[in-house]
Amino acid sequence: MIMKKSIKFIILLIVAVLVLMLAICIGSVFITPSDIFKIIVSKLFDIHFDVPPIESNMVIFLKIRLPRALLSFIVGGMLAVSGVLSQSVLRNPLASSYTLGISSGAAVGASIAILFGFSFFGILTLPFFGLSFGLLTVFLAVALATKLDRNMGNITIILTGMAFSMFANAVIAFIMAFANQTAKQITFWQLGSFALKDWTHPILLFPIAMIGIFVVMFFSSEMDLMTFGEEQAKASGVNVLSVKWMLLAVGAILTGCAVSIAGVIGFVDLFTPHMARRIFGSRHKIVIPATALMGGIFMTLCDLVARTIVAPVELPVGAVTSAIGAPFFIFLYFQGKGGQRNA
Amino acid sequence: MLNVQNVSAGYDERKVLHDISFSVPTGENLSIIGPNGCGKTTLLRTIANIIKFDGDIYIDNQNIKNMNRKSLAGKIALFSQMTTIYFDYSIYDTVMMGRYSKKKRRLLSDIDESDVTSVKSALKTVGLLDISSQSISTLSGGQLQRVLLAKALVQEPDMILLDEPTNHLDLYFQIELIDFLRSWAKKNGKSVIGVLHDINLAVRLSDRILLMNNGRIQAIGTPEEVLNSRIIEPVYKINVGNYMRESLRIWESLS
Repeated sequence: MIMKKSIKFIILLIVAVLVLMLAICIGSVFITPSDIFKIIVSKLFDIHFDVPPIESNMVIFLKIRLPRALLSFIVGGMLAVSGVLSQSVLRNPLASSYTLGISSGAAVGASIAILFGFSFFGILTLPFFGLSFGLLTVFLAVALATKLDRNMGNITIILTGMAFSMFANAVIAFIMAFANQTAKQITFWQLGSFALKDWTHPILLFPIAMIGIFVVMFFSSEMDLMTFGEEQAKASGVNVLSVKWMLLAVGAILTGCAVSIAGVIGFVDLFTPHMARRIFGSRHKIVIPATALMGGIFMTLCDLVARTIVAPVELPVGAVTSAIGAPFFIFLYFQGKGGQRNA
Repeated sequence: MLNVQNVSAGYDERKVLHDISFSVPTGENLSIIGPNGCGKTTLLRTIANIIKFDGDIYIDNQNIKNMNRKSLAGKIALFSQMTTIYFDYSIYDTVMMGRYSKKKRRLLSDIDESDVTSVKSALKTVGLLDISSQSISTLSGGQLQRVLLAKALVQEPDMILLDEPTNHLDLYFQIELIDFLRSWAKKNGKSVIGVLHDINLAVRLSDRILLMNNGRIQAIGTPEEVLNSRIIEPVYKINVGNYMRESLRIWESLS
């Protein structure tokens, strides 16, 4: 079916709003859309209704569901965009912050901050540690992968990522052994969750996400060219070395901040860029915003599943994304083996 | 005018090029030939300033080391064989990428009238205008090479560097491509520098031939000067002339 990309994008926006609504309505207490409408209108315009929304619903909506839905959406978008970056810049469909071990690296940073009870940047401490360790890992991982294999083949990427993730998990295990009482808090970092979050977190991440995505979009032409290989990109006039490291750094910052708030959530960054490309083609000018939205949609849905499927018990959201993402990863690998086009 | 002066280059510790100097006047085509591993492609990469090198390369009296990538891309385009397509683009979008060095940086739409005109005319030249919305992963090897050729053309360079572009092409496309590039250069007063394995194609393309061996220039001159057995045989270690005559004999006995 041929549909204009702008129409597809508008549909995507509508889906995003619907999914957010769904995530807000569904839960231990069902809040009707009309209640939500009333709450928003009464808050914004100070209008009172004859049948006012239930007071407790108002609290659940404003204090729990809305910040959580927004947080999962923002985190999903941040991770997904970092995935587009790694795939295009490293020219490998299997690359992502998660598969490269950058997420785990960021989690080590966050664990260290928790273990030592650091708080010198206040609320920004965890994101700061997350992004610093994310940056460190991306630098090490890509430097090592380049050293092993100039062309950065699939196997190199996977092995490097595995090595880094395992090492990071070992470090986290050490940290946990030292910190019994905070261990539970750290364990959660390894699978990710949006439980027990309030407005401070989405408010904190939103500007970082917007700036990050804006910067990335500014370099969409360069990214288009880089998918044809570094040599081709250089010969077309792209300053490959600086653009590459700058974009990888932005990716690590997006990942690091998201991970420091929500924990390691796998495969969103791998999965959604491919979905976006399938629907919108490969041009980054459209793929980047589309991936951000799709990452948000996917993550919000996964979180909805995580907190409702075996309620009242809540699953870590990373378990849900991995359950969907891991088979996809295998599929992509084998498809890549047979389907990659050599000409 | 391209002027290569005392260029040496290599990868890590391994030196591939040793003290290469030559020049190519505007409007002249040059083929670079030589056995595998003699440094042909490396030489091409230094001219495109893709790898580090010692010595100096001037294009129109400007040292390429002092040029930024965009202005160099306005002078020199590189056209090589496609390796792997990881992410799919339409033919039109792929060719439009070649306009990168001409564009001003803008967030929303950085495509203007001149970009569209240039891309359309290049697509028409390579005969792909009618299917320009098709995605490049559906194309044959020959069609894909034409897309990449169009991408190099819209860069509007003074010189196109070819890196064994005929490797995956059948005979028809090989000849078509080489003839096209020759007439493009002659018509517009531009230059083509091509790394070619096939000596017949090298002769067909160029005014002069540069023969390399072990990272050094063995000979440079017109085909008559370079392609005589005294010069070429020690390099290729076979009697090239005999091979060609034998091929012709076989061919004549067939028809």
